[in-house]
Amino acid sequence: MRIEKCYFCSGPVYPGHGTMFVRNDCKTFRFCKSKCLKNFKKKRNPRKTRWTKAFRKASGKELTVDNCLEFEKRRNVAVKYQRELWSKTVEAMRKVEGIKRKRQAQFIFNRLKKGKQLEKEEAISEVKKNIHLIKAPHAGKTKVMEEKMVQKLQDVEMGDD
Amino acid sequence: MALYNFKKIMVVPTSKEFIDITLSKTQRKTPTVVHKHYQIHRIRHFYMRKVKFTQQNYHDRLSQILTDFPKLDDIHPFYADLMNVLYDKDHYKLALGQINIAKNLIDNVSKDYVRLMKYGDSLYRCKQLKRAALGRMCTIMKRQKQSLEYLEQVRQHLSRLPTIDPNTRTLLLCGYPNVGKSSFINKVTRADVEVQPYAFTTKSLFVGHMDYKYLRWQVVDTPGILDHPLEERNTIEMQAITALAHLRSAVLYVMDVSEQCGQTLEQQLELFNNIRPLFANKPLLIVANKCDVKKISELTEEDQKIFADLTAEGISVIETSTLTEEGVMTVKTEACDKLLAHRVDGKMKGKKVHDVLNRLHLAVPAKRDEKARPPFIPEGARIGRKTMEVDAPKRKTERDLEVEMGDDYILDLQKYWDLMNQDEKYDVIPEIWEGHNIADYIDPDIMKEELKVKDEEMQEIRQLAKQIREKRKLKIVCSKDKDVHGPRLPRTVKKVERKTLEKEMGDLGLDMTGKDDSHYAVNARRSRSVGVAKKRKREASVVPTSRTRSQSASRPPRDQSGVRDPKMAKQAKKLMKNQQKDMNRQGKKGEADRHVFDLKPKHLFSGKRKSGTNDHR
Repeated sequence: MRIEKCYFCSGPVYPGHGTMFVRNDCKTFRFCKSKCLKNFKKKRNPRKTRWTKAFRKASGKELTVDNCLEFEKRRNVAVKYQRELWSKTVEAMRKVEGIKRKRQAQFIFNRLKKGKQLEKEEAISEVKKNIHLIKAPHAGKTKVMEEKMVQKLQDVEMGDD
Repeated sequence: MALYNFKKIMVVPTSKEFIDITLSKTQRKTPTVVHKHYQIHRIRHFYMRKVKFTQQNYHDRLSQILTDFPKLDDIHPFYADLMNVLYDKDHYKLALGQINIAKNLIDNVSKDYVRLMKYGDSLYRCKQLKRAALGRMCTIMKRQKQSLEYLEQVRQHLSRLPTIDPNTRTLLLCGYPNVGKSSFINKVTRADVEVQPYAFTTKSLFVGHMDYKYLRWQVVDTPGILDHPLEERNTIEMQAITALAHLRSAVLYVMDVSEQCGQTLEQQLELFNNIRPLFANKPLLIVANKCDVKKISELTEEDQKIFADLTAEGISVIETSTLTEEGVMTVKTEACDKLLAHRVDGKMKGKKVHDVLNRLHLAVPAKRDEKARPPFIPEGARIGRKTMEVDAPKRKTERDLEVEMGDDYILDLQKYWDLMNQDEKYDVIPEIWEGHNIADYIDPDIMKEELKVKDEEMQEIRQLAKQIREKRKLKIVCSKDKDVHGPRLPRTVKKVERKTLEKEMGDLGLDMTGKDDSHYAVNARRSRSVGVAKKRKREASVVPTSRTRSQSASRPPRDQSGVRDPKMAKQAKKLMKNQQKDMNRQGKKGEADRHVFDLKPKHLFSGKRKSGTNDHR
């Protein structure tokens, strides 16, 4: 029993779910739901259909090349069951999964940094333009201003003299 | 070979069906439209075609029947004899003869009528001739009803006969009814013949196949034979006799030692001697069955003598029990060996053998020294050879276990698994974890990544920006909430309370403590003391001390400025009110409100204009 990949959206097809289409050249296509199957029948290219994983990977929105993705790969070699090998593999799977998630998240984070940059600039401009809504321009500076005025007057007087 | 065609004989229709089929075919496949006014040759051709078509059809089908059914002279005498026994040779030949005659008659009828048709001079005449021709043909067929029915039954039975190859290696079982012939064949081959306690359970020949020494063997089970002369035998026994007579096989004469079949040993011996002539040139074996009930050694002296005599003549007697399977394999091996030897002998004496012998030559290399080099037979082959010859009990199969354990049996395939550690055989093997197939992973490398440090400076700016946005939204909400009816007044009309001013400025961060001396506070006090505006006298001599003060304190309100006395004030007020009456009645906001609420009032645009203008109808 294994979880297959949907041809169109690259989602998991659990046992007992979905459909499989076999073409005359013996190539099989599995679909997780009728949405994917219908899109396939309409001859839509999954690499151009925005909601599929294939599009996201092809257009660089998600992590594609990474050595932690190389661990999950279909090997057509039958391995005899060994308890310790299996338990080690499950442990390793856990770790790899954790790392993979972090890396994928990091990739997306880096991609969205540009947005953060723009946000930053916007915040700065916002502050520059509309600071008067929360803070009066001379807040906390009354004493200084008074002194300045006094100084000016004094200068004027001095000048008069 | 004539063997397989028995299944391929075409269905023989009943006479009624036959007629129906042919006539409807004629109607469908020949043109149907003809008119009086056609040229006479065309009419004649039309009807001649129908007659010939019908004749053709009958001829074809009847010929096919005749060719399909086997000719008793052409097939193997075993089958010929068998068919004779089952279907009566004469009747069979007669039926086929009748069909042949019918075919010829139909041909003649068609020839005659086609000839007559040449002289038909009208559509009516030709049509009648055609009707007569077809009618006669169909009558001929109607007369064949019995033959056709018989042939159909023969065909059905024929197709169900067992396919016995008369020339291959065969073992033939014969003997009294109920001695154990069918049980024997059930044990030795995969055949499943009915075994019942009554006589003549087996009513026809049955074939089973078995393997021995890499060759295919037929085992033929016959119905039991009773002891009476040939002429009195019934069909069922005759089948057994036919098989005995024609098949070149090894004969296994089965005897019941325990006499459970209802016949004594003497009677069985009698029968044996009676049909002895049939066993000429055939390797013979006597099977003493049901030895689990009674062994030969337990018999009386005379009975034992019978067996001793037989053995003395050179016929091997083997004790068997089909119930306990004791001796069954020995019988099989002996019989097969004998037959093989017999067949090989036969072949050796023939002429064809030299062709084969010339090609069989075992080349032996010339010896170069005295060292003995025997052929090498690996241990496994040696053991295998032994088991094949002796047929020792093989290892216990799952099926044997199942039969043994009955209801307790559980199919446990994991016990045969060949793993590195045998104690892991019964582990539940995980296949899927959290949406991933475990089979897709092998030993991974363990690696770790560091988290990024956040930027602190930007945090502050972001907070401020957030505050600004919030305050803005609040202001928008407040202004929307104001719900102003009527004209919008400028901000200067409203009086700004000292408290609100100080609170707002305090929120914005300015220091508002100790502002009693400030300008706005002083003015507020000043205005309070001044009170309501007095009527000001026109005193040009009075020069205001300070411009700002006089203006704010002594400016009279508008409705009192320029008004000399109360009488004038009253008049002014009256004027004002009169002027506003119109506007108020029309619900206008003021002088400048020229808004028309209803551009097309219905009462002005509908109805007839009897007398009047559009202002009213």
